[in-house]
Amino acid sequence: MITSKKIVLIGHFGVGKTSLIRRFVENTFSEDYKVTIGVHISKKTIEISDNKTSVSLVIWDLEGQDDIKKTRTSYLLGTHGFIYVFDLSRPETFKNLKSELSFLSENYKNIPVKVVGNKVDLVNKAYLTQHTGTFKPLVEFFVSAKTGSRVESLFSKLARELF
Amino acid sequence: MNQDEKLSIIKDILLTDEREFASSIEKKIKILESTVNERKNLSTKVDPIINKKLQQFIKEIPDTLGPSITEALKEEIKHSKDSVVEALFPILGQMVKRYVQHEMKLLSENINNQINKTFSFKRLFRKAKSRASGIEESDLIIQDQTNAKIEQVIIIEKGSGIVLAKYSKTKMADEDMVAGMLTAIKSFVEDAFKKEEQDLQYIEYDLYHIHLQNFSSFYIAVVVSGVYNIIYKDKLEDQILKFVNEKSVIKNLNNKTKLTTKLEAFFKNDNI
Repeated sequence: MITSKKIVLIGHFGVGKTSLIRRFVENTFSEDYKVTIGVHISKKTIEISDNKTSVSLVIWDLEGQDDIKKTRTSYLLGTHGFIYVFDLSRPETFKNLKSELSFLSENYKNIPVKVVGNKVDLVNKAYLTQHTGTFKPLVEFFVSAKTGSRVESLFSKLARELF
Repeated sequence: MNQDEKLSIIKDILLTDEREFASSIEKKIKILESTVNERKNLSTKVDPIINKKLQQFIKEIPDTLGPSITEALKEEIKHSKDSVVEALFPILGQMVKRYVQHEMKLLSENINNQINKTFSFKRLFRKAKSRASGIEESDLIIQDQTNAKIEQVIIIEKGSGIVLAKYSKTKMADEDMVAGMLTAIKSFVEDAFKKEEQDLQYIEYDLYHIHLQNFSSFYIAVVVSGVYNIIYKDKLEDQILKFVNEKSVIKNLNNKTKLTTKLEAFFKNDNI
């Protein structure tokens, strides 16, 4: 029987959480921005090659918050893994990265968190180098929901860490 | 010329103005008398004023008298509910009756069509049952349609919304997604109307009733079609409690396969 795991995506408004999920689950992308209200739930079953097992990722797409403390805590209960998403092209979405992640690690101990910079297609290498101080060592993935770059590997890596 | 005549001449000279004034007042009084006494004349003068005042009054009624009238009506209705119901009942009763009659006619037509079009062993069995019991075939169909039926049972972990076990009579929406959304809705409602130890217990969706029964670390969602009333709810609650106790659900929460088998065995016969 397939095991299910709850993955929660959090981050500011408009950073591309829904687009990331849509790219991962349906392999589609839309330029239209529709704000997520409350929560939206998707599911995708993937195989973890290392363990030769399948896992159903039940993905909770929460509405964007400019402060993680404003997130409805009941939505975060029982989470197996977090994906913290920010928009590489909008510094205001990662200026409080450290404190936001501290909040997560303090309140949800031992739960893996993947920190993801989305919209990598909108920035260049020089820009990434310029912000290295902020990103390193917290940010593990630079992805693009638009092109699909590294989206699959993000979810796969998180899924593997859950076993 | 005597003394009196002289005095009269002096009076005339000295009081000319007053006399004219008195005479003009006398004329005005006569006009007023005529206006008041003759209805037509009075109406010409007074009607425009009354009309103007009346229009103004009508305009101001909602603001001035509206609240008082509403309050008075509310009070009146509150104190004489029976009279109000009695007054409205014939009107509403007729409307409801007409609507129900119309819907029943449509339902009856649908049933007749269904009976005429289909041939099955189920129909033969129903016919026999109808003859034996003396109940009309269409009534038996209606009974079939309105009986509450369990469509889906899901045991869901509280908080995470992860499915611990599931049983579906008919293929419905993905259980993991349903369980996730139910948990999100439950969390939202319980957060929004935060009161000590209160849980969301029921959701109605289209033709389905979602019964939610809460336990310490999990809850059970039962999707029911048909008529879900208080009697059915009581029976369902008892059955769920029986299932949780008899089948050692708490001990098997981590064994999805075993729990699912137990769930299916217990609920597949609709023994409620």
